[in-house]
Amino acid sequence: MKLRRRRWPLLYLTLLPTFVLLAVFSYYPAINGIVRSFFDWHPGGESPFVWLENYGRMLTDDLWWGSFRNLGFIFVWSVTMMWVFPLIAAELLVMLSTQRLRFVFRTLLLVPLAFPAVVNVLLWSFIYNPRDGMLNTFLREVGLGFLAHNWVGDPDTALVALLFVQFPWVASLPFLVFSSALEDIPKEVFEAAELDGAGRLRRFWHIDLPLMTQQFKLLLVLSIIGTLQYGLQAALVTGGGPDDATQVPVLKMISAAFNANEWGYAATLSTTLFLLTLAISGIALVMTKRGARDGVE
Amino acid sequence: MASSSRMGRARRTNVIAGTLLSLFVAVGLGPYVFMVVTSVKTNDQFNESYWVPTWPFHWDNYAAAWRQVSPYLYSSVIVAGLAIVGSVAFSAVAAHVFARYRFAGRNLLFALIAALLMVPPLTSLIPLFVLMRDLGILDSRLVLIVPHVVSGAILGVVLMRTYIARIPGELYEAAGVDGAGGIRMFLSITLPLARPAIGVVSLLTVLNVWNDYFWPFLTVSTDEYRTIPAGLAFFAGQNVTVWGPLFAGYTISSIPLLLLFTFVSRAFLAGIQGGLAVNR
Repeated sequence: MKLRRRRWPLLYLTLLPTFVLLAVFSYYPAINGIVRSFFDWHPGGESPFVWLENYGRMLTDDLWWGSFRNLGFIFVWSVTMMWVFPLIAAELLVMLSTQRLRFVFRTLLLVPLAFPAVVNVLLWSFIYNPRDGMLNTFLREVGLGFLAHNWVGDPDTALVALLFVQFPWVASLPFLVFSSALEDIPKEVFEAAELDGAGRLRRFWHIDLPLMTQQFKLLLVLSIIGTLQYGLQAALVTGGGPDDATQVPVLKMISAAFNANEWGYAATLSTTLFLLTLAISGIALVMTKRGARDGVE
Repeated sequence: MASSSRMGRARRTNVIAGTLLSLFVAVGLGPYVFMVVTSVKTNDQFNESYWVPTWPFHWDNYAAAWRQVSPYLYSSVIVAGLAIVGSVAFSAVAAHVFARYRFAGRNLLFALIAALLMVPPLTSLIPLFVLMRDLGILDSRLVLIVPHVVSGAILGVVLMRTYIARIPGELYEAAGVDGAGGIRMFLSITLPLARPAIGVVSLLTVLNVWNDYFWPFLTVSTDEYRTIPAGLAFFAGQNVTVWGPLFAGYTISSIPLLLLFTFVSRAFLAGIQGGLAVNR
């Protein structure tokens, strides 16, 4: 295919609007956020340069690191439980013998994805409602009323309650990835395995899992990035409480700016999150490129 | 014989796998079924018969919910619509130029755009908020539209460039022989043929508008400007323990995405995968 070779300034002129838009609303804020993290930033007022003061403060901010401890739990959960259930569902799905059945179940399993995230989260907030919620009502009606509990109001259970939002997590990206990967494994592979006498479980361990290595890598990186952005559930279900038991970095960053009015510190926190995400995205890019080159992705 | 026993086994597998999958479906869809069932109950019906539907259905809950939720729907549609128009306007020409012309700095300039895919929106929330404040456009629909135009434009350039580069060059050469200029080629070849890519960008924009909570929550305080996420959260706060109308409101707000999922499910799921893969 022959590309047209031109050096007209006109060509650059056509790109100008796009670059102006991105310079003003993408590059400028991103860079400004980093610059302002070295200031005692008061938007619209006096903002003295404070060097690394904000960063020093961040290093000793127990609440900030406590929020990372919560993120640790959220991350471990998101790459274990939130993969196991989708994986089981995907395996069950490919056991179905007709495309029609697979389509019906796949669609039904994915329907929750079609609801706005806010509706999903608010519904789960209702499920945990101490008085009228589905969980406590169910427990009372089956005679387990003594287990009924203010799930999100108790610091000991709030984080676990958050982690169970959207259970069984089948309407999710991991399920989409696993089920399409399993569908793509050629039938002949299974038939050969069956002739060798490999049972369902052996096939799972020795064929399905190894063939999905690349998918696991990709999902792992996406989970890390997703975890760093985690905030919606905590904001709507627990608000980071009680007693900061479910505090997460994103909420902490927002409250530093909007509640405590410490914009420079908020910029420091957001820069830190940004750099973490950037580093991990970089790894992701390298990994997905390698995956694409291997033709596995 | 052999084939009938194999069929018998396939049927048995179907029954077992189908049963277990039905369990997943039941647990997954349970809350939504409950939501719809409860959305037509009064609080008395809710207290008397918690799990089971009871007559009469109170559709007036939907009327009550509609009064409160419809401004958010309207605002979301406006924001998504204008964001789509804006992002296509800012990305289609650039993608066309990147795909069809060779010029000094082409790869560098493209990389400058593609690199922005790695900047997660939440991490520039604070400085972007201050920028909007300095521009004096907080608490308007414009402040909601702009970030979606920007992220749509970034994704649009990247997606459409690949797409447009695959359009056979002969089409453009033939048009060139017929005397068509660059603008003509863009309008009559690129734009129509790039429709699927434009569709994906549009769908992702709608999904983002319907899912982005923090930005509208922080930038807008006039109720009627709120888009669905921040609006619904506010609505939920106003209607605690009025379960019927509350769930009716949730249901109404979900309908647009459910319709998209029903009618363009392939693109919908591709959007979710593509969107997450590029970290939006």
